[in-house]
Amino acid sequence: MAIVIQPYRQEHESAVQEFNRRLQASSGDPDLVFSQSASPRWLPPSQDKPVWNEFFVAVDGSAVRGTYALKQELLFIRGSGLQRVACYHHPLSEGIVDRAFASVGVLLARDALVRQPYLYALGMGGVDRPIAKMLKALSFSLTSIPFYFRVVHPAKFLRQMHALRQERWRAILMDATAVTGVGWLGIKSFQSLTSLRGRTPSFNSEEVGEFSDWADELWSHGKDLVSLAAVRDGNTLQILHKADLASVKSLRISSNGQAIGWAIVGERRKDAKFGQMRVGSIVDCWASSTHTGSVVKAATRALEASGVDLIVTNQSHHMWCTAFEKFGFLRGPSNFVFATSRKLTELLQPLEENQKAFHITRADGDGLPANF
Amino acid sequence: MAASTFDEIRGIASDILGVPAESLNASSSPDTIESWDSVQHLNLVLALEEKFGLQLSPEEIEQMKNLGETAKLIEAKLQAAPR
Repeated sequence: MAIVIQPYRQEHESAVQEFNRRLQASSGDPDLVFSQSASPRWLPPSQDKPVWNEFFVAVDGSAVRGTYALKQELLFIRGSGLQRVACYHHPLSEGIVDRAFASVGVLLARDALVRQPYLYALGMGGVDRPIAKMLKALSFSLTSIPFYFRVVHPAKFLRQMHALRQERWRAILMDATAVTGVGWLGIKSFQSLTSLRGRTPSFNSEEVGEFSDWADELWSHGKDLVSLAAVRDGNTLQILHKADLASVKSLRISSNGQAIGWAIVGERRKDAKFGQMRVGSIVDCWASSTHTGSVVKAATRALEASGVDLIVTNQSHHMWCTAFEKFGFLRGPSNFVFATSRKLTELLQPLEENQKAFHITRADGDGLPANF
Repeated sequence: MAASTFDEIRGIASDILGVPAESLNASSSPDTIESWDSVQHLNLVLALEEKFGLQLSPEEIEQMKNLGETAKLIEAKLQAAPR
């Protein structure tokens, strides 16, 4: 029977549960799972909202052989203005565990492109992963979004950073520097020295429950500095970051009573590559050009105060990259990939020049619920 | 199926899958060729579309269960195509 891709409806839910069970049984990966509910819990479709999720299933008779989601949203693109696009996320194919269904991945990606030619994908775990390779074959342009980290508790970092401890000699060296305090001294000295370059005027930071007019003004002024950014006006931020994740905070940064920026910070869920460390994330941030340093400082201080051991962030805009580097953040290898379809890439030319001013962070794509 | 079409497809598949053409036959499929995963399946689809100047629909992509079925499909499309 032919596989047909169609919107995910309630009548497919039991078949999706079976699909999830087959993927998990064969792969042992608990993350290989699609929404059991046909109605998205995060960003459900709504006629009066600027951003929403849609789910699709590849139906084969009574079975589901694949799934994917589109996050419909508006991007601001310099020279084009607002452009309706979609983020292609959570593509899952039975071909992952059964090669008889190797064609399903192709069908999913092509179906998404037919539904929305202005398509992007984000994350994917690196350019060498199957989904990234598949998008590249479909003429997507791929670029890695820089990754930055700042160590709050060096001894714990040296002992727990599993991703850096894969080689035995390096693990022994990291243990030795942790025990002797040499590592602590080295990391703290470096971060303190570099932080001196990031001195900022005085500011006030407060946790806020909502984004309102002040966020609209910041968006309106800040967007002229970017070549691409998902819309971050007050209404959209309110939809994306409404307070339903206890581990995520929204910060409003002000100077002399005037809002100068905002940041979204949170503690990530446990991840094997970070061992037992508590990892804080600067998920998103926005400011006028002269206040990036204050926002970085406010976000970092908030996470440090919450007791995290390590702070991480992904930033693509050169202005933000500089602000984080000035505040002692180190750049590490990135597996966070931004891929744009051919039609979307056409709007971003000249790509090499424009991508330095893309504002892409961890809040983009499938965003918060995936990691918090 | 015409030998020439199959041979052409076998040559394309050999390049994409990184296996000797002689080791591929009509029943070669993702189940029998280790390197034939979903990414290579897409690469095969794109290469066939370019080589034969045609567009494969989702239903046709799904028919590509093995090289023999793929060759039959391509031949049928070539014969149906306006000259």
